[in-house]
Amino acid sequence: MNNARRFVSSALTIAEMEARKIRHDSTELWMRGVQPALWLLIFGEVFNALRGLAPGGYTYIQYIAPGVLAQSVLFIAIFYGITIVWERDVGLLTKLLSTPSPRLSVVVGKALAAGVRGVFQGIMIFALALIIGVQLRFDPLDIAGVFVVVILFAMCFAAFSMTLASLLKTRDRMMGIGQAITIPLFFASNAIYPISLMPYWLQVASRFNPLTYVVDAMRSMLLTGDYSGLPVDILALLLSTFFFIACASTVLKRLIE
Amino acid sequence: MRSLTKIYSDGNKAVDDISFNVHEGEIFGLLGPNGAGKTTTIKMITTLAKPTSGQISVFGVDALRAPQETRRMFGFVPQAISVDGDLTGYENLLIFAKLFFVDRDERKNRILDALEYFGLADKGDVLVKNYSGGMMRRLEIAQALVNRPKILFLDEPSIGLDPYSKKQVVEQVQELNKEFGTTILITTHDMAEADALCDRLSIMNGGKIAITGAPSDLKRSVGGDVLTVKTSGHAISGMPPGLGSVVSSEPGTVKVLVEDGDTAIPRVTDYFERAGATVESVSLSRPTLDDVFMKYAQGGLDEGSFREARSTRRSIARYGR
Repeated sequence: MNNARRFVSSALTIAEMEARKIRHDSTELWMRGVQPALWLLIFGEVFNALRGLAPGGYTYIQYIAPGVLAQSVLFIAIFYGITIVWERDVGLLTKLLSTPSPRLSVVVGKALAAGVRGVFQGIMIFALALIIGVQLRFDPLDIAGVFVVVILFAMCFAAFSMTLASLLKTRDRMMGIGQAITIPLFFASNAIYPISLMPYWLQVASRFNPLTYVVDAMRSMLLTGDYSGLPVDILALLLSTFFFIACASTVLKRLIE
Repeated sequence: MRSLTKIYSDGNKAVDDISFNVHEGEIFGLLGPNGAGKTTTIKMITTLAKPTSGQISVFGVDALRAPQETRRMFGFVPQAISVDGDLTGYENLLIFAKLFFVDRDERKNRILDALEYFGLADKGDVLVKNYSGGMMRRLEIAQALVNRPKILFLDEPSIGLDPYSKKQVVEQVQELNKEFGTTILITTHDMAEADALCDRLSIMNGGKIAITGAPSDLKRSVGGDVLTVKTSGHAISGMPPGLGSVVSSEPGTVKVLVEDGDTAIPRVTDYFERAGATVESVSLSRPTLDDVFMKYAQGGLDEGSFREARSTRRSIARYGR
């Protein structure tokens, strides 16, 4: 086996590990479905009464459905570092790093594992949207595209979270920082309201927020069908994913030293 | 693994300028009090921690230059039980077989072999969180063997096990070494275990190696085997050289220092009887590795003991969840 194949095989194996765990016990997945359901059913329904909040003549619940999907994936990914700290504590991480698999593939594999969870989240939200009758473009290619974005996005923030975990080293700190980061990221994005409604400084901040590009990409595929912004969105997402994966694989070994 | 040299020092000096060789096919023990640097040493050899300075060579491969290549030759069983409770026993082995790039055609056989070998064949499809501690340990060693390592690292393999499971683990380790010629590097606190298992061992203390040698040599260095012979009749005050030497002779009790207690008993008894004494009983006391450990591990215990006690408590709290 050459190096590239080994790399891919290791990363997939680590993601497979996660998928197998989900198969044995999927309780957590269902629990994680509750929050997005509440956002759609309560927040979405209430603000649905306000006409004109969502641009382009869409209902508000249509408008936030992609935002809620992005947000729920963000929650999974941003706390993924806690899993890594836990795996460090019980010695699993040490063991993974003692295999001949390259460090980078361990990071990519773990990030992919977060992606696997994100995909399940996506399926759940699509099902929910169908049930409560949210009008989305359920085109197979678009759906596939959304899943690609979900996976990339989960990888991006899981890697970010692993980087933080390698520096902070304890679960408590990770809980704290996770809480502190998610809300600003969420509000400084176009997930639940258009950027044009924001004060100017927040508009600027939202341009540096990967979540903005993710929501924009999802919205163009699920709602508008206007792909003009898509290349920029994907590029921004790819760049931040590569950046954080590089960061995480550089500092990960600090966790076990 | 011919010339494994390592010089290492950082602010903490967990391991301070140590060198040792482990010969191919032997069981080598690293003993020492908590915080002596055993685990750090293993971490450096397995390329999990980077030495500040020094060289490590494994079967001619420079571990610092080619860490991935080196890790392929290793099986590593860390101190804490670290099999994944949320997967089945089979899956735990499968994941590691894949991460060690075991050929697809060979994977299944190896996994089933390993489960069979460690008496877990009927538990392969059970989630590991439902295993007992001893079973988890065995699974963990099985996991470290799926890649058929040339060297197996066992960091405190019998910690927290009941005597029966401990014995099983020790026997399986011995068998592995005999059957497959796997070189084994083991750290332990259990002197009886080290004595039974190790061909050679080093005692570490305060990041340095205090002494290295075969258990029997080490024991001899703190005093040989002593036979206490209770007799009636003729008193014995001297022995022919080569048989042993009399340490003390009182009426009815003679203490004799001998080379090897077991084989000396019949010969000494024979000599006594021929010299006209009636032997009533012979008891053998031999120095244990405990004595060796006490002698060589005591020195630095004071200065470091506070920090060590703290770090032990920490790790107990961590593993005790």
